Amino acid sequence: MEVNVSFNLNGKKVSVTAPPAKSLLRVLREDLGITSVKPGCEAGECGACSVLLDGQVVTSCLVMISQVDGKNVITVEGLQKDGELDPLQKSFIDEGATQCGYCTPGFIISAKGLLNENPNPTDEEILEGVSGNICRCGAYPRIFNAIKKVVKKNVI
Amino acid sequence: MITESISKYSYINKSIPRIDSTDKVGGYLLYLTDLKLENALYAYTFRSKVAHGKINAIYTEDAEKVNGVKAVLTYKDIPAMNGYGAIVPEIPVLAYDKVRYYGEPLALVAAETQEAALEALSMIKADITPLPVIHSIDEALDENAPKIHDKGNIARHTVVRKGDVEKARSSAYIVLERSYETPMQKHMFLEPEGGVAFVDEEGAINVLAGGQTPYRDRIQISRVLGIPPEKIRVKNTPTGGAFGGKDDITVQIHLALLAYKTKRPVKLVWSREESGIAGFHRTASKIKLRTSVDRDGSLLSNEATIYLDSGAYQSFGPTILDVSIETINGPYRIPNYVIDANLVYTNNGIASAFRGFGAPESNFAIESMMNELADELKLDPIDLRLKNILKTGEVGPFNNEIRHAEGLEEALKRAKELFYRPDPTGPFQRTGVGIAVSVKGVGFGTLPEFPSAAIEIAPEGRVSIMFSNVDYGQGINTGNAQLVAEKLQIPLSQINVLHSDTKFAPDTGGSSASRSTFNAGNALLLACEKALSELKMEAASYFMTKSDVITYKDGYFYFKDKTVSIYELAKRLRFKGKSTRFEATLEVPRYTEAVEGTLEVPHMVYMYGVIITKVEIDELLGKIKPREVDFIADIGNVINPAIAAGQIEGGIIQGLGYSLIEELNYDKDGKPLNINYTTYVVPVITDSPLINVEFIKSYEELGPFGAKGVGEVSIIPVGASVADAVTDAIGKRNYKLPLLPWRII
Repeated sequence: MEVNVSFNLNGKKVSVTAPPAKSLLRVLREDLGITSVKPGCEAGECGACSVLLDGQVVTSCLVMISQVDGKNVITVEGLQKDGELDPLQKSFIDEGATQCGYCTPGFIISAKGLLNENPNPTDEEILEGVSGNICRCGAYPRIFNAIKKVVKKNVI
Repeated sequence: MITESISKYSYINKSIPRIDSTDKVGGYLLYLTDLKLENALYAYTFRSKVAHGKINAIYTEDAEKVNGVKAVLTYKDIPAMNGYGAIVPEIPVLAYDKVRYYGEPLALVAAETQEAALEALSMIKADITPLPVIHSIDEALDENAPKIHDKGNIARHTVVRKGDVEKARSSAYIVLERSYETPMQKHMFLEPEGGVAFVDEEGAINVLAGGQTPYRDRIQISRVLGIPPEKIRVKNTPTGGAFGGKDDITVQIHLALLAYKTKRPVKLVWSREESGIAGFHRTASKIKLRTSVDRDGSLLSNEATIYLDSGAYQSFGPTILDVSIETINGPYRIPNYVIDANLVYTNNGIASAFRGFGAPESNFAIESMMNELADELKLDPIDLRLKNILKTGEVGPFNNEIRHAEGLEEALKRAKELFYRPDPTGPFQRTGVGIAVSVKGVGFGTLPEFPSAAIEIAPEGRVSIMFSNVDYGQGINTGNAQLVAEKLQIPLSQINVLHSDTKFAPDTGGSSASRSTFNAGNALLLACEKALSELKMEAASYFMTKSDVITYKDGYFYFKDKTVSIYELAKRLRFKGKSTRFEATLEVPRYTEAVEGTLEVPHMVYMYGVIITKVEIDELLGKIKPREVDFIADIGNVINPAIAAGQIEGGIIQGLGYSLIEELNYDKDGKPLNINYTTYVVPVITDSPLINVEFIKSYEELGPFGAKGVGEVSIIPVGASVADAVTDAIGKRNYKLPLLPWRII
């Protein structure tokens, strides 16, 4: 059995036909050509497939496509506005917060979700906010700095 | 220390953002497991559920009948050699007589749909008679132990010695004898092993898969398929993390075999659990040291017995053992030593390269020993090291003349200012500080290497640089672009990097042994010199003069009041039908003779580092929190301080995982127990301490613009420094990593 699901992806309406239990991650990668969501574990452990679902950070590997009908999905591709990188994306570049880069989109989405909910987080809240994402290259100090810098700018 | 403001360079010593970082933050960078080929088959691997056993039969008939199945391959389908392995090709591509670890591949399936492939996979049956499982080094060494290989359970044994240890020991003030153990560590890169393969219109087999060494992958594929390497293309970039775990073959041969047999594009990606079961890991170690010291703290002798667990086969095991031999004396003056080194087979998966490559194992032993000797001698641990470190120009323990060791002395002196115990943050908390020194050779030691690299000057105003080393996150793309920009004095924006693809890049070797910058950088600089010399002659022709009166600056040649750009000259060369691609080969400087009993000892160029770790321990829970880590590095001249510091920070964090929480375990049947991020826990951002990285001002003349290497230097000494800090906090020494709460209390 397949279901027809329509949702808003990075500001555009999309429709897909897929088995209802197919993960949002697989639909994004296999049916919609969105490859920034990475299947690092497909078990909700690593955070590399994080997306914003109606503004909430979720690991798209644990979301069934049938749960997405009528909702808003934002991936890192959707953060750019008029070709301009989001301040978080710029900050990740400036602070050298990427190494292999495989975890980067997931971290940026988690940070975006955190700042949407709490534009002025404390250091502890920043750390807690992205503690569900794994970076095996260990770019953590620079990832923290990158997010912190955006927070500081928001405050000023 | 190096600061950017005082640098005399235009493009190096500069923290330029990675050239691929916009693609990475934008989500546009396509990793090889992201590739979707039209008409591609889905491929899966059938693996053994027996860790050690005799194969009686593999039944594939039912699987072959499944609708949509295009291939079910076993060892019978391998055209030529059924073996691979970076040093000794003894690992079966598909097992044929025995299985030696849980998860060993027995068959491959490729089908039109995922469902068909999985159905076929479920229909393959293997008839295997189990044999007793060897779980550990100790079990493997038991004389009644079953033999994993016909030759026995010792893959390599060698003894290296110098001087007279008995005599030295008998006159010593203190002799300490200790045993140390380190665990198997999983790489746990975020992108699992995987990629795609296809046969192109010229009949060549293209394998695009995460890896570290494209030309060696190509040779290994070629031997198995029995077709010449020129008919195979390997591309390894981009790769989502490797750390040594993608240096030997993972999926490449299986992919090539399936594409070759089916003539269809194929995609094969391991699941996280499959990566956990069948991927490589770091050698576990058991090291015994008996070390003696004089009353004044001078080291007199070191007797080491090293056992490394290679798992079921040797991948890089023999050379990992060499690095453990070379680093077991630390960077110290030890006139008498005996090193008895053993590489042992067990049924624990396959151990292979992992950042540090035998050095973290040995370093934990010798640096823990140094800290305990300092305690016994009632000497400051930094003073004890200052007394014993080899100085520039001295002859080292392996008859090598020591180059540029002054950086280590400076780093130790700086460490004195940072070495203090912090105050606890609250009640029931204890704090401690620990220290260790890191040393590791850059490159392959005495093994010959001749890396080639090329640059091509396009009249349109671009310089392409070509090398085969892989950028898997360490930043070699950016670093090499900076080196070429500096050499040619042209903006970085004019440089285009083509790398780690046998289709475009000459063989520069792979990314391992902290040597990519040294080898590829040097070879690229040679290629630049070749280009400039050739272009100068073309400029002479253009200016109608002799080449020796022409000068060069910022991408232009000058003669009197006239100028011509390298791009204009490239246009002229093309017009004349000449090539604008310049390739050069480097003869890597090395000692030509390996120390007897070793394959590659010693190295000529060493990286150094000093680490200070400050921990806080919860008295009630035994939980160790690393609070602050200082790392003072001598990595030669620093091409890109931010990227180099990022490498050092990352190595420290991986090292903290290794020291505190990470340990791959197998059950009684030889089945791995922790194969995903829930069961094999790696550090997350809240585990990351405050890290302070400092670079010693240093210049290695043999390196490109004075650079040595950086990738491995920081992970090596973490274990000993953490164990030392824990000792400082709780007053009890620990000899086994990881320092789990129940081990330290």
